[in-house]
Amino acid sequence: MKAGIVGAGFMGGTHAAGWAETEATIAGFADSDLASAQSLANRYKAKAYPSLEAMLNDVDVVDICAPTHLHHALALQAAAAGKDIICEKPLARTVEDAQEMIAVCRDANVKLLVAHVVRFFPEYAKAKAAVAEGQIGQPAVLRLTRGAFRPKKPVDNWFTDFEKSGGMMLDLMIHDFDYARWIAGEVESVFAKNIASAHPNAPVDHGLVILKHRSGAISHVEGSWAYPPPIFRTRIEIAGSDGWLEFDSDKSAAIDLHLRQQQNDAPDVPLPGSPLSESPYTTQLKAFYNALLNNVPPPITAQDGLAALQIALAAIESAQRGKAIFIQ
Amino acid sequence: MTTNKLKIGIMSFAHLHAEAYIGNLRGTPGVEFIGFADEDAERGQRFAKQFNARLFPSYKALLDEKPDGALVCSENAKHRPLVEMAAEAGVHVLSEKPLASNLEDAQAMIDACKQAGVILMTAFPMRFSAPLLEVKATLDEGKLGKIYSFNTTNQGKMPMAHRKWFVDKELAGGGALMDHTVHLTDILRWFLQSDVVEVYAQTNRILHADTVNVETGGLLMLTFADGTFASIDASWSKPLNYPTWGGLKMEIISERGLSIVDAFSQNLTLYKQSQNSHVWPYWGSDANQAMLEEFVAAIREERAPKVTGEDGYKALEVALAAYQSAESGQPVKLPLR
Repeated sequence: MKAGIVGAGFMGGTHAAGWAETEATIAGFADSDLASAQSLANRYKAKAYPSLEAMLNDVDVVDICAPTHLHHALALQAAAAGKDIICEKPLARTVEDAQEMIAVCRDANVKLLVAHVVRFFPEYAKAKAAVAEGQIGQPAVLRLTRGAFRPKKPVDNWFTDFEKSGGMMLDLMIHDFDYARWIAGEVESVFAKNIASAHPNAPVDHGLVILKHRSGAISHVEGSWAYPPPIFRTRIEIAGSDGWLEFDSDKSAAIDLHLRQQQNDAPDVPLPGSPLSESPYTTQLKAFYNALLNNVPPPITAQDGLAALQIALAAIESAQRGKAIFIQ
Repeated sequence: MTTNKLKIGIMSFAHLHAEAYIGNLRGTPGVEFIGFADEDAERGQRFAKQFNARLFPSYKALLDEKPDGALVCSENAKHRPLVEMAAEAGVHVLSEKPLASNLEDAQAMIDACKQAGVILMTAFPMRFSAPLLEVKATLDEGKLGKIYSFNTTNQGKMPMAHRKWFVDKELAGGGALMDHTVHLTDILRWFLQSDVVEVYAQTNRILHADTVNVETGGLLMLTFADGTFASIDASWSKPLNYPTWGGLKMEIISERGLSIVDAFSQNLTLYKQSQNSHVWPYWGSDANQAMLEEFVAAIREERAPKVTGEDGYKALEVALAAYQSAESGQPVKLPLR
């Protein structure tokens, strides 16, 4: 299997590290910034391409790691060429785009896998397994937090361009919207507040969202681009009819360094992480590779990606309009 | 030394806090705890024996003793008659929270105390929590910069094991939402010096669904007049074998970053070989004690207490608005009337 990665930025490099742990070949990297593509290509002994179009003939699967607003066009292009697709989250920038991607991929008979990597983080997977085993009974009140600083990028910081990324609630909080839905089922209504809506000129964003699930469960989802770098915290709390489960990245930190600061050397894009023998991104890539190679159902479907997108967009709409938004 | 001790009595032992208040009153300099009255004779006798306290045969008998102040610890829906009795007798009142189970009662209590010229204080002990007082000072100094939002939790165990009426909608006015919303609402109003203008809430009854008929899960979103938004988790979600009763936490997002507050972090962790769960003995300062000392000081100094009946009303209004929102599925504007 020959994989082609579109987008040679931070996430393209992260996926490449995962692909390198599979039997697949990384055939190439496509990026309009050819120098970035070349740099990754050199590292993985692959080819650099100026565009997806130029790379398409040389690959079996297209791994889309480009900015969110480009997912739709890239996926349609890959599907038209009959290539299976892995797409970073969020699946698309709008519901319509995501629906069209799903329909086109179905018609072209190609697979569309969406990379909600949080499902592959061992703490999140373990918590899901505990709930699925019935260890805490029926989930009743969920609390999910994912907080960091606003992503920096030396040039073209599409993260902070709402039209391109959807902002913090779409780019970051979608992880926990997906997770809440995975744990407690379909979401019926969404009510949200965030700094970006309350104070449009603030240099940070922070969102608090209340979800009501059709199962009766309720979720409190918190997302932040307001912490000082380099903080990245994640937390899970699930209160169930027969118990309680919690995870706190601060409390389970295996290593806590308290060093005199040299410089404010936070990474451009915050990433969570506990020391593990395998990166969750690699776990995800292996699962996707297996789904493609052996034609088995993927652990997360494009429909899951669409549902998470719907929740995130409902949260944005709620924060802007001041009303609860009902889904479907 | 002054011998002019203030006489304080407790009206009703329905609320479990009454048990702690006895010790607090006995430990307050310049205060004489005169005893209590309880309409439940069996319960009254049991606690009179347990605490070696004088049990008055009726509320009237207690008020006839001419106390300076009374702590009203009846069920939420039964605060009003006792507060009105005390006010009529010219006795200052500290009422348990929530102030009442509806706004009409809350207003009547405020009016009765105003007319009688006695103090009406609402029992919001967290106003006297040492960690929260420090947060308040930090906020007032402007150390955190502009405040954007609060993510707060006041989770507890389902309290039926302590007092059955807590899960009785008639007597308590509701479940977890009524029990827990008012503390953080009051703290946030105090911190921000701003009133709540909108409330959104969702509730459910999945936890303890087979034992209680009131909501056990509740999430609220408050919007303040100054634009700050704050969520409250008011759920009775802590498992019954959790190492402590619950807790009160907040995370503040401001211009300068993130501030994490745990008002009940001041615990030891203690494991007993004979038990399968550990406990958290609390070593922090006793906020109940500080609250009662403020009640006593307000009586002595003939001034308004730091927490008033109006504060109790405002917090109750938010809890009631939350029920309306949970019913309608949309945010509710304040004031309610």
